[in-house]
Amino acid sequence: MAMIEWLQFLVGAVLLLLGLGIFTVEMIGVYRFHYVLNRMHAAAMGDTLGIGFCLVGLIVMNGLNFTSLKLFLVVAFLWFSSPTSSHLIARLEVTTDTEKEKHYREVPLTELEEELSSCEEKDGMQEAKDFMTQDGSADRELRENLGQEA
Amino acid sequence: MGEGVPGLASAYTILFTAALIFLAILLVLCLIRAIIGPRVADRLVAVNMMGTIVMVIIAILALMLQEGYLVDICLIYAMISFLAVIVLTKVYMGVYLAKKGQTEGKEQKDGND
Repeated sequence: MAMIEWLQFLVGAVLLLLGLGIFTVEMIGVYRFHYVLNRMHAAAMGDTLGIGFCLVGLIVMNGLNFTSLKLFLVVAFLWFSSPTSSHLIARLEVTTDTEKEKHYREVPLTELEEELSSCEEKDGMQEAKDFMTQDGSADRELRENLGQEA
Repeated sequence: MGEGVPGLASAYTILFTAALIFLAILLVLCLIRAIIGPRVADRLVAVNMMGTIVMVIIAILALMLQEGYLVDICLIYAMISFLAVIVLTKVYMGVYLAKKGQTEGKEQKDGND
């Protein structure tokens, strides 16, 4: 019995520490990015994966009972609430931003398509296209070429 | 946690205490992020993160103190922090749009005169 309880402790501890690690990564990201919409990307990680790992670790430690069910309910609620609040914050930022040019660039779809077609004329893109369309042979050739260059 | 097995109870206490101290440090860093901003959305993101970390702290305390009802508080905390973000974004956006409408109306009036 003691063995099983130690195993339960170890698995739970590993999951809990993994969750704390993800919170650390989240905090580093929030300090390193320079704009809100980038920062939100890092912050959303803790809301889902970080708290998910932490609470799954606690569920493993606690065993299966009513408390574990409620812990799972917290995670399930966050799966829905986190994207919603992120969406609202992003909309607030985009609406109230008075100096958009400084922070990001808006590209119409037609312009993107033009950019893409101009890219296709270049050699690298052609090779990549061959790589995708033809099977086997082009793939092998490309790999040999790369090997020679290296 | 871990009564009846020699050493397990102290292992749980050490793990939970270390996790709580670490989360407290992260909470302080979040608070600093919320203070230095610089935009409103920055502060809202930081407050949202603080809510998540406090939820983990409450869940750890529920297991550490063996008080199951603390998990209910955690659930309610999640709902209230979600509501806070929704209300703050709605209020701020409403105020901003009202102000913008006012200034635009004034400019139009000036142009007509």
